[in-house]
Amino acid sequence: MAQEAHGALHDLLAVRGVTRRDFLKYCGSVAAMLGLSETMAPQIAAALEGAPKLMPALWLNGGSCTGCTESIAQVDTPDVATIVLDYLSFEYFETIMAAAGSWAEKNITKRAEEGGYILIYEGSVMTGQDGNTLFVGGGPENEGAKKGIEILEEAAKNAAAVIAVGSCAVDGGWIYGYPNASEATGVAAWLQHKGITTPVVSMPTCPVNPEWVVAMVVQLLLVADRDPAKFLQVTPMVKVPYTDAITGEKVTLLMPKAIYGQTIHDNCPRRGHFENGEFVTELGSKEEAMGYCLYKVGCKGPQTFTQCPVTRWNRRASWCVESGAPCIGCGGLNWVDNNSPFLKRMSDMRIGDTFVQPGTIGAAVGAVAAAGLVVHGIGMKAAGRIGDGPPMEEMKAYDRKRLAKKGGDK
Amino acid sequence: MAGHPHYREAHPLIFVITHWINLICMVMLAFSGFYIHYPFFDGFMGVARGMHFVAMYVVIINLTFRIVAAFFVKTAQDLDSREVDLDIKNWLPQEKNRHQFWETVKYYLFLRKEGVISAKYGSLQKIAYLATIPLTYLQAYTGFAIYGPSMDLGFFRAGLDLVGGPMNMRVIHYLGMWVFILFTMVHAYLANIYNFAPSKLIFLWKETVPEGKH
Ligand code: HEM
Ligand code: HEM
Ligand code: SF4
Ligand code: SF4
Repeated sequence: MAQEAHGALHDLLAVRGVTRRDFLKYCGSVAAMLGLSETMAPQIAAALEGAPKLMPALWLNGGSCTGCTESIAQVDTPDVATIVLDYLSFEYFETIMAAAGSWAEKNITKRAEEGGYILIYEGSVMTGQDGNTLFVGGGPENEGAKKGIEILEEAAKNAAAVIAVGSCAVDGGWIYGYPNASEATGVAAWLQHKGITTPVVSMPTCPVNPEWVVAMVVQLLLVADRDPAKFLQVTPMVKVPYTDAITGEKVTLLMPKAIYGQTIHDNCPRRGHFENGEFVTELGSKEEAMGYCLYKVGCKGPQTFTQCPVTRWNRRASWCVESGAPCIGCGGLNWVDNNSPFLKRMSDMRIGDTFVQPGTIGAAVGAVAAAGLVVHGIGMKAAGRIGDGPPMEEMKAYDRKRLAKKGGDK
Repeated sequence: MAGHPHYREAHPLIFVITHWINLICMVMLAFSGFYIHYPFFDGFMGVARGMHFVAMYVVIINLTFRIVAAFFVKTAQDLDSREVDLDIKNWLPQEKNRHQFWETVKYYLFLRKEGVISAKYGSLQKIAYLATIPLTYLQAYTGFAIYGPSMDLGFFRAGLDLVGGPMNMRVIHYLGMWVFILFTMVHAYLANIYNFAPSKLIFLWKETVPEGKH
């Protein structure tokens, strides 16, 4: 029966020392992520094992720290996620491919001509300096040199789908943060701006969680029979309206609902303490160890829509809030500006080049108003208005003036 | 001494009740709002949120009822008179308020001595009272846009994009509270600065009739 791992996958698993049991367990967690029953695990395993292998894919890096690649590739133990990702045949993957120079570049051009691939894009689209960034083949003076933006457009145009991994690719990420000197923006907005209609799936967090990328690969292989069009059809998506400040585009970001449909606060293991009103006031305190809620030390969980508490991080070992750190909202849009300072409940408001907390503004305005009323009250007393009120006018000032004028005319 | 007389016709019982409900809700909303913003003591978050969620519905229903009632209930045309007309007419700017805006400002800046002729409410007062209507509904909109069960609706998603995300919406909702606090400070000050007759009427429904008047 399909209880035996076989073929290419079997070899891969064996080489990396992953048991069949580990593999099934992993498939179960992927099922949970996709919103499927965990009894689907054997089917997921079978689909992976039976996959005739290799869906062509390109992995491009934009303006980023390459953290998403690190997050996926940097493992020190045999890891199922990377094995599953081997089902994508990366014909270009700058950080980890063996090919180099013009050979590597030709892989992009050739694949873009042939079509039938998915494009995974990591990093922001840097539109500043006339797009003269992320050059391949030397500077603008070299013939045949290409701007990073051109490579993205070329690769995206013919792709069956683009997966924008990590917050940078979604909306510019931390590079988009004030003052955004490189005029960074996200893939979806940029492609729409250029009239490229290839569908873009957006997968924020900084970096992207590798398990989620795996979940999407499984969804593509299993549920959508390797057909990206069907993938988009059968994968429930949250449609997030987003206005990009760099291009002025209004885009609808597609984010897989199973991953980005609920807030962290909805699923947080510390939530019980939130409702009880039991909070951590100081990092490193006893309360933090007891699992109290991190709201007061700036947790952005209530505003951040990701499945971090369910999937967790670092091979499902733990995650920010579980390890005692407030969520800094890296899965949100324009996340740095919207969530810093990270240890304060609210983001700062920027007035010119100074940053102020909303609470400071409220309290200051309130205090000025209170002082103003006291002074006004003293004035009212001095004017003798208190008690019966002022003597009333017999006629409106306006009418008096008009009458006087009329009188003068006559 | 209490200046001009204060008759019940100015605030029929139904509006005394709506004002009470509104005041109680606002105090609950602001208190629980401060707590939700930053829990300044332990053990109250569940209660604070529950309080906020109950009061937010009540305040919206109360305001909507108050507006509808304005079209049916009659109130005094002038504060010192028992002659009544439809409340909505007395609520909106009237003939008596014309040309009086700057005069009222001048009066409060001590640039003129005599009080200005006004209808039931002066022009500044009408602007302030009318402004509480859109403000309350705006507060409701920003509130529902950060409320788990409703924030996913397209109507609120669009607003979230407009202001740049749920954090900014929270900041706006929070600053909205300060606008209400400012309004209430000025409102309570002006209502009570001369004497407490207006408060006796709006809270206790007690008339104040100075000697020699009836
Ligand atoms: C009228 C309808 C209102 C609705 C629907 C509403 C709804 C909400 C919701 C859903 C929250 C978030 C609670 C949580 O996440 O646990 C909230 C917070 C808050 N509300 Fe309201 N609210 C309303 C009116 C008001 C009013 C009138 C005030 C002030 C006078 C107010 C002040 C606040 C404050 C200060 C917060 C805390 C914001 C923060 O720091 O995140 N709300 N409200
Ligand atoms: C300390 C709290 C308050 C006091 C002492 C107070 C006092 C008064 C008084 C005396 C009046 C009658 C005005 C007059 O006849 O000249 C009045 C009317 C009014 N107040 Fe307040 N008030 C308070 C809180 C509030 C709050 C929190 C709001 C709304 C946010 C509010 C909204 C109004 C409105 C809209 C009216 C017009 C009444 C109507 O036409 O139904 N008040 N208030
Ligand atoms: S730690 Fe953060 S996400 Fe968890 S309950 Fe507290 S505020 Fe919500
Ligand atoms: S918990 Fe928050 S900060 Fe941590 S990865 Fe998830 S979204 Fe990012």
